[in-house]
Amino acid sequence: MAQFNSEEDPLRFLQINQDNRSHISIKDEQKCREKCDNKPCTFICPSEVFNWDWEEEEISFKYQRCIECGVCAIACPQANIFLEYPRGGYGVQYKY
Amino acid sequence: MTDSYDAIVVGAGPAGSAAAYVMAQNKMSVALLERGQYPGSKTMFGGTIFREPMEQLVPAFWQEAPLERPVVTDMLWFMDHDSAVNVGFTGLRYAKEPYNKFTCQRSLFDQWLANKAVQAGAELRTSTLVKGLLYDQGVLGRKNKRRVTGVVLDNGEQLAADVVILAEGVNAYLTKEAGLRSNIPPHAMTFYVEEIFAMAPEKIEDRFQLEPGEGATIGMVGFPTAGGVGKGGLFTYNEHVALIVGGYVNHLVNQGHSPYELLQRTKAHPLVRRMLSGAKTVQYKAQMIPKGGYTFIPKLYLGGLLVTGDAAVMISGRRGTDLAALTGLYAAETAVLAKAKGDFSARTMANYMRKVNNSFFMKDIKGAKNSLTYYKEHPDSDFLIAGLFNDVAYEFFKVEMSTEKEKKDKIMRIISDKQMPLKTARDLYEGYQHWGAY
Repeated sequence: MAQFNSEEDPLRFLQINQDNRSHISIKDEQKCREKCDNKPCTFICPSEVFNWDWEEEEISFKYQRCIECGVCAIACPQANIFLEYPRGGYGVQYKY
Repeated sequence: MTDSYDAIVVGAGPAGSAAAYVMAQNKMSVALLERGQYPGSKTMFGGTIFREPMEQLVPAFWQEAPLERPVVTDMLWFMDHDSAVNVGFTGLRYAKEPYNKFTCQRSLFDQWLANKAVQAGAELRTSTLVKGLLYDQGVLGRKNKRRVTGVVLDNGEQLAADVVILAEGVNAYLTKEAGLRSNIPPHAMTFYVEEIFAMAPEKIEDRFQLEPGEGATIGMVGFPTAGGVGKGGLFTYNEHVALIVGGYVNHLVNQGHSPYELLQRTKAHPLVRRMLSGAKTVQYKAQMIPKGGYTFIPKLYLGGLLVTGDAAVMISGRRGTDLAALTGLYAAETAVLAKAKGDFSARTMANYMRKVNNSFFMKDIKGAKNSLTYYKEHPDSDFLIAGLFNDVAYEFFKVEMSTEKEKKDKIMRIISDKQMPLKTARDLYEGYQHWGAY
């Protein structure tokens, strides 16, 4: 359910120093498939890190897009998202 | 060799920098640790800096801090899709000293406040993420989880201190690790997204009816959150205007709202569009605010540990940045006292909790603890009120071929048709506590 096409992608208004290791992980992918109906992470995330593949029935994420707000972990009804901060100096750097 | 300090502060936001500044002024050795490349690089702020509380920290700070505009106008728009009922106040007394509040860009303000701490003698380390806390090992080498002795960085380096002050923000990973805070449920958390637009100062002053240098804020209820409880807001900076939209996380989740979409929808509202037309977006941001209130406030100390600001859920209504700075100040005062006594045990740290409990804002936080439950049960309150105001206003201002009596009856019917009038009264009462100006 990609709602950001490249022209609309708010990431062009963000400066992100991408780390080469992920600070996000899904604890149990089975839970996303079997226990989660409406996948809140896919629409609540302000920078669309998460994507649900309906064909493969699989959750995927691009940690490089993350702006570290933490809302996914709060919104996940299964408490299934493990999130920590990227290493020091990495991640989003707001200018304004 | 482990570096050792009197105090380590985690996070260089308003709470952390305030704490570091006051401790450094009192000749303590202080390390101020910030995970971003510079203080303010991770923060979003929809709001204003309040003059009186901030002056507790730095008297006459407006003469040196990077502020945008002193606010003279606060508006509240109750919005429907093509109308708005406006309530507002303009007070020109607020345009001059001692001022009331200022719009500001926290990315700049936080750098300034951290720099105050540095000038007072604190050591600022940026790009430095704290991964965990160090605990007292005791004589038997067993970890005593009630006595913190330092921090571990993400590169494995250890730093020791008599006291660690956590000012790590809303996600509060270390506060949780210390066992002081549990997870906050979605109905006690709000979430906001923001877009910042570049706009010429003359244009800002024209559109918001300001004299050069004056500032305005507009709060928006109803339309922006499309059915949930939350708010939109417009803030005038010197050469920028910020638009924020957001609300309770449980409402956003249950109603399937993407906050980004809500922001775009609000931007496209005919009354918002005319305020922003021609302005270029320069930044997009997102941030959670813990609305948890009294029920979710953690224990704020252990031996050698104090928790401040958002990590401590120090939010009351629209106040957050000032409470962060005040809790930072109280934490620092407690640390200074502990150093004088040579005792950083939990008993001395409890002094901080007493200061917080005796504060004016804690009384407000205690008083508001039922609001959260109300909004959990009635997610539609704001939307119904805003809709009702606009329906009534459309009728009130409409010129018709009817008697005054017929008109009055019609308005009464609109009110009673919307929902039970008693519910409207309760929504208004709860709203009063939660709307207000930014």
